[in-house]
Amino acid sequence: MWKKIKDWIELRIGLDELVRTQLREYRVPKNINIFYTLGFVAVVAYVIQALTGFFLLVYYVPQSEHAFRSVQDIMTKVPYGWLFRQMHVVGSNLMVIVLILHLLAVLFMGSYKKPRELTWTSGGLMLATVFLFCLSGFLLPWSQLSYWATTIVTTMPTAFPYVGDFVANILRGGDYISGSTLNRFFALHVALLPPILVTLIGFHLFLIRRIGISSSPFGEAIEEAEPWVGYRHEQYQGQPFFPHFFLKEIFMCMVYFVVMFFFITFMPTFFVPDDANIQADPLRTPTHIRPEWYFLAPYQMLKLIPNKFLGISVQVIFVTVFLLWPFIDTKEKKNILKRPFLLGVILCCLALWTVLTIWGRY
Amino acid sequence: MRYLLSLFIVLSLAAVTMAGYRETFEREFLSKPWAGGPIVEKSACIECHTSDIMKPAFRAIPDEWQGSWHALNGVSCNDCHGGDPKDASMSMSHVRGFVGKPKYEGVPAYCGKCHIGILKNYLESGHGKALKATKKGPNCVTCHGSHGIQRATIDIINEQLCTKCHSYERAKVMKQALFLTEKKMGEIEKDLKALKSEGIFTGDDEKTLFSTQAEFRALFHTVDVSLVKDRTDEFTKRLEGIEKNVQKTFAELKVRKNFSAFLTLIFAGLAVVVAMLSATYKD
Repeated sequence: MWKKIKDWIELRIGLDELVRTQLREYRVPKNINIFYTLGFVAVVAYVIQALTGFFLLVYYVPQSEHAFRSVQDIMTKVPYGWLFRQMHVVGSNLMVIVLILHLLAVLFMGSYKKPRELTWTSGGLMLATVFLFCLSGFLLPWSQLSYWATTIVTTMPTAFPYVGDFVANILRGGDYISGSTLNRFFALHVALLPPILVTLIGFHLFLIRRIGISSSPFGEAIEEAEPWVGYRHEQYQGQPFFPHFFLKEIFMCMVYFVVMFFFITFMPTFFVPDDANIQADPLRTPTHIRPEWYFLAPYQMLKLIPNKFLGISVQVIFVTVFLLWPFIDTKEKKNILKRPFLLGVILCCLALWTVLTIWGRY
Repeated sequence: MRYLLSLFIVLSLAAVTMAGYRETFEREFLSKPWAGGPIVEKSACIECHTSDIMKPAFRAIPDEWQGSWHALNGVSCNDCHGGDPKDASMSMSHVRGFVGKPKYEGVPAYCGKCHIGILKNYLESGHGKALKATKKGPNCVTCHGSHGIQRATIDIINEQLCTKCHSYERAKVMKQALFLTEKKMGEIEKDLKALKSEGIFTGDDEKTLFSTQAEFRALFHTVDVSLVKDRTDEFTKRLEGIEKNVQKTFAELKVRKNFSAFLTLIFAGLAVVVAMLSATYKD
């Protein structure tokens, strides 16, 4: 019976050939390291977000009068609702961490260099989309924390003269955060952003498979030796993708789950401070309210730079440079250790980001 | 790179030319409490009471109020004193309901506008009767203070305060009668806060606790020990009902914790298995 089904599928899809050519015979560089698995972990993290998000969507009420209570009901009454919500909340933060680590790994290993500029840019756009996911999702529980943190973040664009207020008003659906903002953010979170992210993931993966995975400049000799004068698919004599590298990816996914459930078990309130458990009150501004940790650095920078237009301009330049980085750093040398100036600049930027984040927190 | 540098210079120059925008932004962005500034209650009452024209004793009032239980719960000057805090010229107008400072014997009615149940019991109590008869008996402010009022606890019954008017022995008996119920209410309140911080809906139990607390504390204002003792069982039963729900929820949280710990172990085990399997596939 099983053989019959298998043969039936084989005849129509050619599954054996697909597995052989795309998994077993597909080879990755010998010197590939564990950081190469982070992209796969990020995709799995997104799938978890989508699945848990779907579950939450069944019970969540996207109206300002009922949103907070519906989230409390998910945590209290819905069977296993707490688990799905905690996975969604912890997962969103872990996903950002995984993406940042993935980005740093690509940056340090020079994997963005020709011909992979579009792979980097699509990855950068994915990170921006994930930040939009976080921003829009953060408001949905309609708590004091989400309300006022969103107020801060949606006020940031007002630093732009003339268009700033317009942008902020478009985001909020008015001068202040209200039920209209909740509706907009909800629509953005569940209807607009998912297809955008899925498209970007598809494009990113297509580019990786089309060009071939980049080799690491560290470890054993680099196999990618020929200059890129025309299109070619990078072929390696390294280890098979399946099962060798695939098992490493699965291992890292298991580690991701362990970290996620560790937080849920032992630090369930780590990403949910007290203000997140109080219903939003537009008439009462809590003291010491701040945006989420990943927005703290730009928030603090905006507070520090005396001219706000300059502050926001610097940030726009940072984002532009970040997205177009492969077109700016066109040198072929991939090993960052042999480029001390670039290494120094990147480390300074990282240190600045860390300091601003900590400063913004306290 | 040079294009970006040029862009940066152009934007910087534009920023300098837009110096006027800076003030607007700082007013709109940085002056907000969430941008790090303090919360400033904009009211004619506070502006006037903090100005130099005010007597020093009156100038301390806004600070006292800022740290009070009333301020924490959004009860502002005009909620007690009337008037219009948004309009300086009409802030002390009787047309806008300004009543100012009440007379000593008028304080209970003044506070009783909100604390209705307490007023009724107080008026029937020895305290209330003494005030009515002599106009010198204790009123609300005698025990609770006024502008800097804090959340009432059982500690308000103390030797220093009570012996201002009578011996402490009578008050001590009352404190003993209240002690266990007050202790239980404090414990439940702490537990509900803990549950709330885990995202649990505690609204129904909070409401029951609030009404029980309010009724019990209103009952105390009769200063009738035997009445408090007689009705303590009734309050204890209500509190036990809440406590039962709380304990049930804590038990549920424990189950959840065990379940997620189990999942942690499962995935840790799977990670080990996959790592071992992966090791067998080396080249």
